[in-house]
Amino acid sequence: MSDWRRIDIDAYDPESGRLNREDLIPSYPNQITLQDLQPTISQLRSFANSGDINSAIQLATSDVPYNTDEQTKLQYVYAVLEVLVQVRQADVINIIKGLNSQQQDSLAKFLYKGMSMPEGQKNGGILLSWFEKLTQVAGVTPIVHYLSDRRTV
Amino acid sequence: MSADRSVQSIFKLTKAPIYSHCFSADKSILAITHENECLIYRMNDSSQPQLVGTLKNHDKTVTAVDISVHGRIITCSQDRNAYVWEPLSDGTYKPTLVLLRINRAATAVQWAPNGYKFAVGSSARIIAVCYYEHENNWWVSKHIKKPIKSTINCVSWHSNGVLLAAGGTDGYMRVFSGFIKGLDTKESVANSPWGDKFPFGSLVREAYQGAYIHDVQWRSNVEQVAYVAHDGTLNILDANNNVSSINAPDGLPFKTLLWINDNEILCGGYSRHPVLFSRASNGWKFAKDLDKGSGSAEQEPAVTSNGEDEEENQTFGISALRKFKELDLKGKVSTNTKESAHDNAIAGFVPFVESNGHVQQVSSCGLDGKVVTYNI
Repeated sequence: MSDWRRIDIDAYDPESGRLNREDLIPSYPNQITLQDLQPTISQLRSFANSGDINSAIQLATSDVPYNTDEQTKLQYVYAVLEVLVQVRQADVINIIKGLNSQQQDSLAKFLYKGMSMPEGQKNGGILLSWFEKLTQVAGVTPIVHYLSDRRTV
Repeated sequence: MSADRSVQSIFKLTKAPIYSHCFSADKSILAITHENECLIYRMNDSSQPQLVGTLKNHDKTVTAVDISVHGRIITCSQDRNAYVWEPLSDGTYKPTLVLLRINRAATAVQWAPNGYKFAVGSSARIIAVCYYEHENNWWVSKHIKKPIKSTINCVSWHSNGVLLAAGGTDGYMRVFSGFIKGLDTKESVANSPWGDKFPFGSLVREAYQGAYIHDVQWRSNVEQVAYVAHDGTLNILDANNNVSSINAPDGLPFKTLLWINDNEILCGGYSRHPVLFSRASNGWKFAKDLDKGSGSAEQEPAVTSNGEDEEENQTFGISALRKFKELDLKGKVSTNTKESAHDNAIAGFVPFVESNGHVQQVSSCGLDGKVVTYNI
């Protein structure tokens, strides 16, 4: 019995009821659709086009859509990524300093998400520079929050 | 040497991590978890605690230990069992197995304030509330199951002995009723702000945190319950469901907390030093760090002056030594960093000296095998 840790003890207990991924995600009273989100996304694009990255980041991180499906989340992330990569290096630190701690946590989520997918990796250097400045300003707190938060972007 | 005199004493007891420790009511006996055993020490004034006993019935890691007001020790383990250890007159302990009826590890244990029942948290998504039945000469285990979704990490009894707070890896802090007929009276929960009726196992409150809850503790006289989570927050819930939440100043999660008085909470965890929070008019705020290890800047001038002395000597051997010392310094700010008393995460706090509901000295155990006492 050296490999007792590998025994699937739930198989011997019909009442056990396995823990699902869904069990751990907080339940939301209502779901947001892509249509609901479209005004925010176009607002983000227009901020980005006019070069007002600060306002765009403020908007993107203030009301993050958690209560929606993966496809819609992805559209939102693409829009935020477009904003993130258009920043001038010199502005990054002041933009981050202008965020409150919840917004900094949200920013960390977008950075991790961006770095995890090819669309973000194309501009990995810029995302890493955001990340570097974020940890300079806020320490490891946004990272710890990202790792432990079940509300994902 | 250092301005921070909060560390009272440091006892390096084992090489293995200490997950849990506790003292008898008169603080003469210290019990710690050590691998598959529980070690019993007698406390001496100012010197190293003396090992007086080893409780070794468990065959897997002991996860938690607690001592009742009557001196009975309860241990629980990953072997899914708990033992009650009755102190005998010759200083030894008589074990009684408690059948918890769980199919996964027991993770946390606490005696109720009256010492006649205890609660065990487990990975089987069950809290076992156990009490002694005289007719059968047997510890009976009653289960609280719903709506626990994952491992329970911590349990805490309200001073009324009925309300039981528990937190776990499903990200919920929950308050249950641990009311045992014949043991508890309805008078003890009369006029409780937490509800009217408390049948055994009923869910009284639920607070979603999202991250693993590592520790929870009641402050009964102000009817509040505090809990720390893996996202590095300290949260305080009152009977009206108001939650006050504050982040760890270092960002690293806390593993344990202790109410110092009605308005102060001490937290400890992966930052290896205790952190004190206090209640302000607009919620809780960070008060101070205790025993925070740091690269001490004030020591640096001394180093350079030493360097000058060496240069005056012009001895070849010493200048070579200096050269190596400088090489060794690469990547560091200074050699004179002051380390905190714990070398690894703090796993648990218990009060050590207490008067009028105010804790003056705290004892902590850590994954480095140390027990450290701090002045507040």
